[in-house]
Amino acid sequence: MIPTRNTEMYAQYHWLMYTLAAIAVIILCKGIYDHYKLWRLGQPEDRERWCQVGPGLWRVVKGTLGHFRILRERYPGVMHWMFFWGFAIFALGTLSIAVRDHTGLPTFQGWYYLILSLMLNIFSLLVIIAVIMALWRRIVIKPDRIDNKTEDWISLAFVFFLVVTGLLLSGLRIAFTEDNWALWRPLGYFVSTWFSNIDSSLLKDVHQVAWWVHVCIAMGFAAYMPYSKLFHIITGPVNQYLAKETAAQIIEPIDLEDESIEQFGVAEVQHFTWKHLLDTDACIRCGRCQDNCPAYISGKPLSPKKMIQDLKSHLRVAAAKLDTKQQAKGGEIEEADDLPSLIDEIGEEEVWACTTCGSCEEQCPMFVEHIPKIVELRRNLVMMESSFPSEAQVAFRGMENNGNPWNQGWMTRSDWAKDLDVPEWDDEHPAEYLYWPGCSGAFDSRNRKVAVAMVKLLKKAGVSFAILGNEEKCCGDSARRLGNELLYQTLANENIETLNSHGVKKIITSCPHCFNTLKNEYPQFGGNFEVIHHSVFLSKLLKENKLKPNDATDLTKEIVCTYHDSCYLGRYNGIYDEPREILRSVPGIEHREMARNRYKGFCCGAGGGRMWLEEAAEQRVNIRRTEEALDRGVNLIVTACPFCLIMLEDGTKAKDVNEQVETKDIAEVLWESVN
Amino acid sequence: MKIVVLMKQTFDTETRINLNAEGAIDETGVNYVVNPFCEIATEEAIRIKEQLGEGEVVILSVGPDRVESAMRQCFAMGADRGVLINDPALEGGDEYTTALVLAKALSNMEYDIVLAGYQAVDDGSAQIGARVAELLNIPQVTVVTKLELSDGKAIATRELDDGYELIEVPLPALFTAQRSLAEPRYPSMKGVIQAKKKPIQRLTLADLGISADEVGAKGARVKGESLVLPEPRQAGKIIEGEPAEATVELVRLLREEAKVL
Amino acid sequence: MAGVLVFADQKNGTYKQVIYEMLGLGKKAAEHLGQELQAVVIGKGVDNYVAPLAEAGVDKIFVINNDQLESYTTDGYSKALTELIKQEKPSLVLLAHDAVGKDLAPAVAQKLGAGQISDVVGVNFDEQGLLFKRPLYAGKVFSFVRFTDKAETGIVTVRPKSFDPAQRQAGRTAQVVSFSVNVTASDLRQIVKDVIRKTSARVDLTEADIIVAGGRGMKSAENFKILEELADVLGAAVGASRAAVDEKWIEPQYQVGQSGKVVSPTLYIACGISGAIQHLAGITSSKCIVAINKDPEAEIFKVADYGIVGDLFEIVPMLTQEFKKVLAG
Repeated sequence: MIPTRNTEMYAQYHWLMYTLAAIAVIILCKGIYDHYKLWRLGQPEDRERWCQVGPGLWRVVKGTLGHFRILRERYPGVMHWMFFWGFAIFALGTLSIAVRDHTGLPTFQGWYYLILSLMLNIFSLLVIIAVIMALWRRIVIKPDRIDNKTEDWISLAFVFFLVVTGLLLSGLRIAFTEDNWALWRPLGYFVSTWFSNIDSSLLKDVHQVAWWVHVCIAMGFAAYMPYSKLFHIITGPVNQYLAKETAAQIIEPIDLEDESIEQFGVAEVQHFTWKHLLDTDACIRCGRCQDNCPAYISGKPLSPKKMIQDLKSHLRVAAAKLDTKQQAKGGEIEEADDLPSLIDEIGEEEVWACTTCGSCEEQCPMFVEHIPKIVELRRNLVMMESSFPSEAQVAFRGMENNGNPWNQGWMTRSDWAKDLDVPEWDDEHPAEYLYWPGCSGAFDSRNRKVAVAMVKLLKKAGVSFAILGNEEKCCGDSARRLGNELLYQTLANENIETLNSHGVKKIITSCPHCFNTLKNEYPQFGGNFEVIHHSVFLSKLLKENKLKPNDATDLTKEIVCTYHDSCYLGRYNGIYDEPREILRSVPGIEHREMARNRYKGFCCGAGGGRMWLEEAAEQRVNIRRTEEALDRGVNLIVTACPFCLIMLEDGTKAKDVNEQVETKDIAEVLWESVN
Repeated sequence: MKIVVLMKQTFDTETRINLNAEGAIDETGVNYVVNPFCEIATEEAIRIKEQLGEGEVVILSVGPDRVESAMRQCFAMGADRGVLINDPALEGGDEYTTALVLAKALSNMEYDIVLAGYQAVDDGSAQIGARVAELLNIPQVTVVTKLELSDGKAIATRELDDGYELIEVPLPALFTAQRSLAEPRYPSMKGVIQAKKKPIQRLTLADLGISADEVGAKGARVKGESLVLPEPRQAGKIIEGEPAEATVELVRLLREEAKVL
Repeated sequence: MAGVLVFADQKNGTYKQVIYEMLGLGKKAAEHLGQELQAVVIGKGVDNYVAPLAEAGVDKIFVINNDQLESYTTDGYSKALTELIKQEKPSLVLLAHDAVGKDLAPAVAQKLGAGQISDVVGVNFDEQGLLFKRPLYAGKVFSFVRFTDKAETGIVTVRPKSFDPAQRQAGRTAQVVSFSVNVTASDLRQIVKDVIRKTSARVDLTEADIIVAGGRGMKSAENFKILEELADVLGAAVGASRAAVDEKWIEPQYQVGQSGKVVSPTLYIACGISGAIQHLAGITSSKCIVAINKDPEAEIFKVADYGIVGDLFEIVPMLTQEFKKVLAG
């Protein structure tokens, strides 16, 4: 006999079942359509998001099927894995039955049936365990990042009772039918033992009722989906597909030549693109963004999770007031009176608290893009409202008048190099590489030492390089991240003009902010250069034996160090190994990793233009990171970014350990070793 | 409410000053900005207009074509239009001749309040405001840190060496701005776009009915003869020795060498 | 007879140091021009205030008494001074480049149709007469200027601490001339509603001549006491760097730097301050910078005129003692 079971028990009622299903599907579709109408309020996006088929599908495979990001946290990761695969198996089971019933294909028999039965049972148990884990987590553990809403309990109830009724059905059926393969459903079999002494006609009646209850719960689940967090079942994979992993790294430019643009940045929900609005429906309030947000951790009012949820609720309020039938395609922006303000809802202080470190985006299993939203909100505040922290104005004026946020005279930019015999760029005999120290390397007294070390290393290695000198201007990263797109494009265009007119092709820079924008964003304006970060370049020189570290024998003390990953180097550009390789190649240095390293690295606090903004003394991000480094018992903190260097060194001074614990750039460490 | 702001374009304060072969200030690569005090005056003018809900802010300047970019900066903040006076005969003038030209232009304009920076960061003369007020025969209050307007009058807070005083004057009057009067706003994108379209009326001496003999080198009461760069700040001296010795030596140097005590 | 006229601004009969400096300069100028040194005192009941001026070498003192001139107003004083100048026709009028001088001088200059040279820091005496040296671009370059012959009188405002003061000799007398001016209440368009003088014992940072400032090296709020003691001896204001304010060792109003106050004292003593760019941006117009820091690599030493590498807790009290000794004697 071929292993299978009867699935025709209520065949005569299938019309009713399908009617209910149809109703559920209609409610589901209406729900999805309601969401679509909200997303449609947003501005158009470019086709790019749809066309990236390969990477998009791969993200879905990794993210949804593989649970790649979800599993980064064990407890909730495993818990959700059980939910997901449980439902996947249930769906497979239901599908197998439906196909057999309607097409006669043998999709519910034989070994397939037996294995499937076993998996269905095991996963039923796992899902019940998962529900208990979820309840335990929400009621007992109560992690800071999890909030409880009615929809959470309803969703869990749906899941729980669906599985329980399913098991009940299994047990009841085994009890009143002859099932030779009952043991392939161990849990069902176990349940059936409870009914061994009960009259089988009663069991059949109960079974029928239970069956309808089970069907209704399943239909209800499907219908409930778009009206609750369960919608993530659809929006999750969609969002994973549509994600732009470079969303923070490459900020969308504004076409400033377009005279028809009246709104710069986002003041109201409909100024966002539809993808940003879709993000609010992909967010499942898991809070991992919040848990890793340096602003949140340092006690500032910003929570990325809250921001997305605020946007979500504001979208609904706004939509209710706008005429939602109107098409938002073609760039027509709707306005409505008496609309409560979006920025009031999210909070101006919150918007400025962000360091654009990218942890939120890195952690988000749904690939929500938080950072472009912050930048768009800032753009409105800066370019339309002129409402921003007053310290930023000093930085803006400095960049405008003297090409650097410190507002040091532009003609003093090359002062750092004057005693170093550094070649200046010669158009007639251009060097192979341009060394770009950035504003920090040129103007900040601490970082000048890094530029000097870099120059010495390049000379020692016999590299053909030169500097631009006073013609260099701020790369503009701070301006763009603070929302001043006009200033950014002015600087970028001027720099590109300068670089192109000199025929510069390859650029080495010691600043990850310069690195990120020169490499990834300048192409937006016709600046296409090969940009290399100094840690990568130095690592290459070491491999090519052009730099040879000395032996450790004449070191006066043991050096125990930790390397701090810069956000713009690590998370933004995936450069984690090269600085570590350099440290490994220097004898006599013991390297200890901090717990939050690599993609989990904790921000120094200076990104997103925050280098130029004030912080309340008790809300300093850099102190927290410094403490984390000191906890590893090091006497040296190594960085590869000028901002990180300033921030962490300041941190050691604030903690009064700066005499015992040094802070150095990777170039300085290497120079001391090869000198 | 008509407010006229006297605006001067100056070098950015971070500019390194060099002298060229002729002994004049080398202007190559110099970054020009609105004189910071004039910017404050402009901001105050715009603020007054916003508070009253009506009015016009006019920027009045004397200078070459490059002054236009400074005017556009004021427009971007919210000023409404500008008047720019330029004429080759103005070459070699001084504060007396500049004030003469400004006052003549103002006498053809309507104004309730004239605002100016209290000094320019290039010459630090601090004269133009007072001179123009005298020529127009309107009362002046200089170095103002706060301005309150009421019916036909103003109460200005004037900064003293050791405090401040509140002075009431009838309008029209002239006020020169000190730093704390207003915090210049950062122009919005809308402001920048609109600034490009705001009108600048260009005038010459003929338009004002001033003869060339009255101004420029011919009319000036003061003439410059030469410029000299200061001695470069000597590299600091680290005073060696035991703390007690070093301390005594430091005090001696401060009295005898630096003459600061 | 033509003369060099010094506007001797008085407060309750006392004259600031700068008045004597102008008399010192005025004497030299008068001698060079072959003229007499004159001074004018304006106020109500100011006849008794002439002795110090006579002792300082003034040849002729004009006294202008008028009820309306008891307190300074632009209209009142400019009218009075202009009437005197129109009558006496001095070739040169000196005022201090202070709040009153800066307000009064251009009003008078314009009433006379005369030129004004502001903020003079030096004078050369040559065959043509007087060549004045004044700073441009906050002292980044100096300009030498002289008056043309378009006006009879030249107005000059003088920067304090630029010239040697005239020495007072007891017993010296001068010719005192009463000059009456026709200033009535209706002349005064400015009505002084209120005058508030700062009563704080310590000088305000932005106006201070000498500032003693502390940074991270101070280590605690209590330790600022040693700076206050030094400040008291010097009559200085107390300032602080960002680090000290952030650590809450001192209130924010004392912060000096890019995001605090920009100061231009004659002497700035930086104790335990490393010299970050933002702090330096607030002190570069100081005439003389002294740094005390135990880190010889500290940036502050690159801009300081004098520096001591050492422990500020040792050095600052010693400085206080030394200054006390030297300034008393």
